[in-house]
Amino acid sequence: MDHREEIRSFLKTLLLDKGDKQPFSDDASLLLSGRLASVDAVEIVVFLEEKFSVNFAELGFDQVLIDSVDAIDALIPAVNK
Amino acid sequence: MEASAAIPSVAWPQRLANFRIIPPVETYPVVTKFAKTAIGKLFLLALFALGLRLAMQDWLPLSVGLAAITFVPVRRRILLTILTLLFTFAVPWAKWPHPLYTSALIVFVIGTGAMLFWLAVALPRSFLGRHPVFLLLSGYSALIIFAAYFPNDTHWYLTVWEFTATFGAYLWFIGYSLLDCRAPGRDDFAFQLGTYRPFWGSPTTPFVKGSGYLRRIEAKDADQLAVTQLKGLKLLAWSLLISLFTKYFSQYVHGSVGIPTFADAFFHSVNRAPFPWYTCWASLVTGFLDDMLAISIIGHRIVACCRMAGFNALRNTYRPLSSRTIAEFWNRYYFYFKELMVDFFFFPVFLNYFKTRKKLRIAVATFAAAGFGNAFYHYVFYLNYISQLGLWRSLAAYHVYIFYCTVLATAICISQLRKRGPAPSGYFRGHLVPTFCVALFYCLLHVFDYTERTYPISEHFRFLAHLFNLTI
Repeated sequence: MDHREEIRSFLKTLLLDKGDKQPFSDDASLLLSGRLASVDAVEIVVFLEEKFSVNFAELGFDQVLIDSVDAIDALIPAVNK
Repeated sequence: MEASAAIPSVAWPQRLANFRIIPPVETYPVVTKFAKTAIGKLFLLALFALGLRLAMQDWLPLSVGLAAITFVPVRRRILLTILTLLFTFAVPWAKWPHPLYTSALIVFVIGTGAMLFWLAVALPRSFLGRHPVFLLLSGYSALIIFAAYFPNDTHWYLTVWEFTATFGAYLWFIGYSLLDCRAPGRDDFAFQLGTYRPFWGSPTTPFVKGSGYLRRIEAKDADQLAVTQLKGLKLLAWSLLISLFTKYFSQYVHGSVGIPTFADAFFHSVNRAPFPWYTCWASLVTGFLDDMLAISIIGHRIVACCRMAGFNALRNTYRPLSSRTIAEFWNRYYFYFKELMVDFFFFPVFLNYFKTRKKLRIAVATFAAAGFGNAFYHYVFYLNYISQLGLWRSLAAYHVYIFYCTVLATAICISQLRKRGPAPSGYFRGHLVPTFCVALFYCLLHVFDYTERTYPISEHFRFLAHLFNLTI
């Protein structure tokens, strides 16, 4: 599975856990729009750290960095792509 | 275009299921089209001003400010700063007993915030640049200690405390601008200043967060502005409806039915003349609902004004009683306070400590936010107790709220870490039971949601026991 698809699938699972079955595009805001909450942001952070070695302690964390599939994709270090 | 053609036709059963007291007008193309026109904007602003007039005293300057920002959307952010400065200094000027002195204090505080911001930006590798919020909160704590030990027989005593209080009023706003220092595309201080107690009104918890959040939720075009303003108008209407309901609800339950207020029931318990246990339950439940309604009314009004100014902010309170977990309720009850705790305490701990142990990491970060952060916020908020009782006595007398924070943090922690299977099906087991349990937990915890320093924790346990018809 390509990494973008992996991100999409993970976000879809988070949304489904909340009973949100609405589709979302790659640029759709998920955290700032309120579809996902900060509890979910924690899950996304852990997912990115474990799967793609993203280090938020170095990057500086901001919810906008993980707000959409596009935003998350931009975070992933080139070595993992 | 006729309205009937613009509104999508839906079958009656579906319409009934989708019924809203206030219809989703922002989804009706004919309405959004009208809201984009100059007359439409004027009409929306007039309706909004009418709503504000029913809700607050200073409705006129706020309405004029919203009109200015509506008609010059390309200058929205700088107008926000100008309006915020006007509402900080000019609007309350006549009400202040010593306007020059008060202004000087505020200018000094804002100047300190500006200095910290510029230093953090200019020296990103310095300790200040890497930990600006830690330095801000440590510095403010040091200021409180300084004020607490400042000799009270000198004429500077009051000035020191007034400066501390003024700084406290801006503390978290300055904090949000410092959080924005490292963000890509951060705003200049001129824009950050617009978020320092913005003109739409804000309690000490920043509504709505800081500059970083505003630039992401700002309406980017006329369509988004129309939708955002319609949502703002709806939210103000909702706030007014809740306000009206609260008025009659209070009159009915505390007047006609004769249920004592929670404060009254607690006071009777302290004086060893408690109401019957079932009356205490009624007081507790109505007190819990009263607080929830009060937070909703104020939060909705502020967010409505923010939306009217062109920022599509999330609601502060959103259906808290539909929460199926304790963590979810905390998110839905007072969103911007929870966000404050998450931004200032949770993530800084979560991203830096125990990175290899997920559960411990979440637990520690949750305690940092819902436990320590929550207690810290309220301790420095009520400066009057520190000035009256001194640092240590006010802290010792604060033990009830510390207990409240500890229980809350533990419960949220368990709620977050608990492995859940698939949600039980059916309305009763899948929805009603979990929502009832969550509401009951917060209702009982409400007994300890006490930031005053008058009664010890034993009195709160006595009241709790009495709810179950027990005597301790």
